Amino acid sequence: MAKKQKIAAVGKDTNMETAYRIERFLAAEARTLDEERYDDWLAMLDESIVYKMPIPMNTYRRNRPGKSSIRETMIYDESFEKLKQRAAREDTGMVWLNDPATHHIRTITNIESFCTDDASVYDVRSKFTLLRSRRDKDHVSHTGLRKDLIQDTNDGLKIVARTVFLPERVIVDKNLNMFF
Amino acid sequence: MGHDSQIPEAGDFLRTYMGEDDVIVVRGEDGEVRAFLNACSHRGNKVCHAEWGKTKAFTCSYHGWAYDNMGELAAVPLEEAIYDNLDRSKLGLVPVARVQNYKGMIFGTFAEEGPDLEEYLGDMKYYLDVVLDASPEGMELIGTPFRVEIRGNWKLPVENAIGDGYHVAWAHAGAMRVVGTIGQGRGESVLGIGKDNTGFDDSGQMQVAIPPHTVLSTLDGQSGYALYDNPGPCIEYLEQVRPSVVERLGDVRGTQLLGSETHMGVFPNLQIIQGLNLLRVIHPKGPGSFEVATYSMADKNTPDEVKDIIVKHVGQTFGSAGILEGDDGDFTEAITHSPNGYATRQMKGWLGMAQGRTMDWDGPGDASPGIVNELCQREFYTQWQRTMLAESVSDILPEQSAQKESANG
Ligand code: FES
Ligand SMILES: [Fe+2]
Repeated sequence: MAKKQKIAAVGKDTNMETAYRIERFLAAEARTLDEERYDDWLAMLDESIVYKMPIPMNTYRRNRPGKSSIRETMIYDESFEKLKQRAAREDTGMVWLNDPATHHIRTITNIESFCTDDASVYDVRSKFTLLRSRRDKDHVSHTGLRKDLIQDTNDGLKIVARTVFLPERVIVDKNLNMFF
Repeated sequence: MGHDSQIPEAGDFLRTYMGEDDVIVVRGEDGEVRAFLNACSHRGNKVCHAEWGKTKAFTCSYHGWAYDNMGELAAVPLEEAIYDNLDRSKLGLVPVARVQNYKGMIFGTFAEEGPDLEEYLGDMKYYLDVVLDASPEGMELIGTPFRVEIRGNWKLPVENAIGDGYHVAWAHAGAMRVVGTIGQGRGESVLGIGKDNTGFDDSGQMQVAIPPHTVLSTLDGQSGYALYDNPGPCIEYLEQVRPSVVERLGDVRGTQLLGSETHMGVFPNLQIIQGLNLLRVIHPKGPGSFEVATYSMADKNTPDEVKDIIVKHVGQTFGSAGILEGDDGDFTEAITHSPNGYATRQMKGWLGMAQGRTMDWDGPGDASPGIVNELCQREFYTQWQRTMLAESVSDILPEQSAQKESANG
């Protein structure tokens, strides 16, 4: 048999209490977004946040990025300001697509919390399903995973980085104007 | 089908679609760009499932036939033992009949006959050159495309992008409130339309028909950056290169077109949008569905700092999660499916705006004032009809209208 494998290649588990707080935090974040409370959501983010969603690469394994002239593209590549702008758009009352309201239901699961070199920052992995539903039967469900860096601050937990991986090369949806 | 900048080296390839045909575009070992149907000569399996990359051979995953990057059938497993007289030279990948290049842009057609690319583009080259030939190095596409599939008819996103200046302020009202000129408080109107979709100034704007192609432009030399939150570095670079572009392409193109919000529609499904700096191809997927492929583009000489602003802006506005892009899919889908009902199907839409309004314009084509105008959309459907009714490929181009004399601006 091969030598004993380290199960979690990410880092040491956080203590149970921290893991619990993080789980509660991510569930609350999802609910805040489902309820379209964007100002409350923005308060859960650190203002230095880097929020990304890369396009999945359907290339041969030997043609990894960097080995070819075509470079990676980001579906989301946002700063705090840009996220604020997207949230502000939702609040203009002039996004016709969302009136009647579009319903979002976010399910966050497989949450794993790891320590990092910085004692106040956790490396948190999770998986999500985001159901978006509007009008009679315009339902789409997106499933993916997230890699977050979450910081413990005097003001509670804050997301300092999020990378969303949505394994859909061709997006079969009218838009991805929603927060993941 | 693509652009030279995407496949600069021997063996570089990308996959795209021509209609619903899956096509591989590849630069062969000899440096030549060819295109082939992505279908194995043995039983028709796809020979390539990667979207892009670099390879010496396309090896079919079914029985292992291998084609070199010039399309020849190079190897067949067990060939000697199982075949008595296999003529590999006749079993290469099926080539796209004609692959031609205009200043880096690679086009293909399945038609053996009919107009060559340059003839097909005709006077549209005058406009395309503002993007493709503003410098000796020319344009490049940046990154892999955003790809979205929408349940609508392919013609709707095309004519929306090439000509529908009317919908911008209203359909995208939410986005307009937060991005660019209005969102950042730089002005109370954008592209000639007031903040609340009121007040309208079409002076100095135009739509122009260069059949079978179309152009819409604001002609002010910089409103292409109107939707940017931080257009400063882009405009600075624009003004820095303007004198050399004026020298290269003349006054009309260098001062009026360069930097303007300019939407070029190359019939049928290519849109090149200067300012927003994106290039889109709409791939039909049957009558009720289409895929949009959206690329960022910039002149090769553009400084990295400006390219980064452009790439981010394209993602933010017209990428898969673009705050403007998302609005358009909704009515595209509705317009496509409304006529599922018999009574609704009896209705006729209406595209009569600005019919008969003309203006003087120093470039080629017949111009009509305003970007809120339906000239481009009418031209698009006229050409679509002409194409569908054509008895042969030589009938798809309109009768050559007399060349305007000042077409060299
Ligand atoms: S189908 Fe390709 S080798 Fe048989
Ligand atoms: Fe639009």
